[in-house]
Amino acid sequence: MGLEMGKTDIIQAPPPADAPPAPEGADLIEWYYERGYSDGLPLVPPTPEKIAATVAALGGEPGRLLARVPPRWGSLTREVLAINMVMAGCRPEYGLVVEAAMLALTEPRFNLNGVQATTHMASPLLVVNGPARGAIGMNAGCNVFGSGNRANATIGRALRLVLLNVGGGWPGLLDKSTLGHPGKYTYCIAENEEASPLAPYHVEHGYRAQDSTVFLLAAEPPHSVTNHFANDAAGILDSVCSAMSTICNNNAVSAGHCAVVLGPEHAATIAKSGWKRHDIRHYLWAHSGNRWDDLYGRGRYGKVYNRNLPVWYKREPDARTPIVPSPDNIHLFVAGGEAGRFSAFIPGWGHMSAPVLRGIAGARPAGGPECVDGTCAV
Amino acid sequence: MNKSIPVYDPRGVVEAAPLSTAPRVTTLAGLRLALLDNTKWNANKLLRGLRDRLARKHALGAVNYYRKESFAAAAAPELLAEIAAANDIVLTAIGD
Repeated sequence: MGLEMGKTDIIQAPPPADAPPAPEGADLIEWYYERGYSDGLPLVPPTPEKIAATVAALGGEPGRLLARVPPRWGSLTREVLAINMVMAGCRPEYGLVVEAAMLALTEPRFNLNGVQATTHMASPLLVVNGPARGAIGMNAGCNVFGSGNRANATIGRALRLVLLNVGGGWPGLLDKSTLGHPGKYTYCIAENEEASPLAPYHVEHGYRAQDSTVFLLAAEPPHSVTNHFANDAAGILDSVCSAMSTICNNNAVSAGHCAVVLGPEHAATIAKSGWKRHDIRHYLWAHSGNRWDDLYGRGRYGKVYNRNLPVWYKREPDARTPIVPSPDNIHLFVAGGEAGRFSAFIPGWGHMSAPVLRGIAGARPAGGPECVDGTCAV
Repeated sequence: MNKSIPVYDPRGVVEAAPLSTAPRVTTLAGLRLALLDNTKWNANKLLRGLRDRLARKHALGAVNYYRKESFAAAAAPELLAEIAAANDIVLTAIGD
């Protein structure tokens, strides 16, 4: 069969019948490719020992149902999760992070059904906080969004395999994304708490520093923010605002939530100005946005209301249209290598999906007033 | 003797009973038509245009217009039940 570029039927999808056993001597990597269980990269052939070790790390009970994964609504048991984790190349000790991430993704407010099926390119971004990062050897530093670390790469890949295999998000079938993005292979980082002058993200949201959490956002790819000239908070954050203020990221037209990842050098300069998380998020919110008229061709196509944006946005030509409806919808992290004056803006899908922060191994917010960097919000 | 290697299916079980589709109607005369708007930008324009064309060509019994809460989420079960109870046929559309 010759390749017909652009046709969706050249993408593999699993056939409906259950797999017969493979004959001794079979090339299992090719066997799994033929079954259509892969994301396109070779799978690690699972063995009974590896699956058992991963199920044990998840707490045993292989048949325990964790979630049903849309849009196929396949049952994700601990054993099925373990199979996908082994296939992705995960070590057993990554299990609690992957399990927490899947539980977060399947909370109704995340709307995984929509995230999987949309024509937009969004893919779940996972950010891990707390001691779990170090315990499993995650990379929060140099090349944090890139390749080279087993935990980051295979945890993100395990999520994608579950979304494909259990959730049925096969491109062209139930995943209708026009373009997709490279994070659909793996999109998993850790916050660089050690290099950050700010409180960790999960502490800002009420968890204790010794707790570990997963944060999931349906997200576009990171957009680099270069700034090598500013030596104060406002100067650097103005560059982040510029990256945020394009008329065609999905937040600009569909509101929702976004993420900003400050590189450690930028974070250090901002902190030297005495700014805290609260100040940074409010500045970004107040000084980003688009002119309403710029969003819709300056009247060329008639008057546009856009029901995707909050009713309280002023729909007048010169009005500022915020990128997201509130400073609380900007999720701020510090990550990356200690050298380099770079940050990143990561747009979200929009109001159709709410991000989820969830404790690993049952961790819950400590309760009481939220105090970060000496500021308490009651 | 042929030995085999254990292999694993990573897909998990789908616990849902398959439903058959309703029989196709042969005439629209006298039928109650539901229009389900998914609330995307142009869905209402598309559906209202289709409604007008259908109404010109067929003696529909009734036309009822419904809207989903969000284009990105499934219609609420109560809305689906209401549509099923009050209509014979349903037309839905997205319109980006």
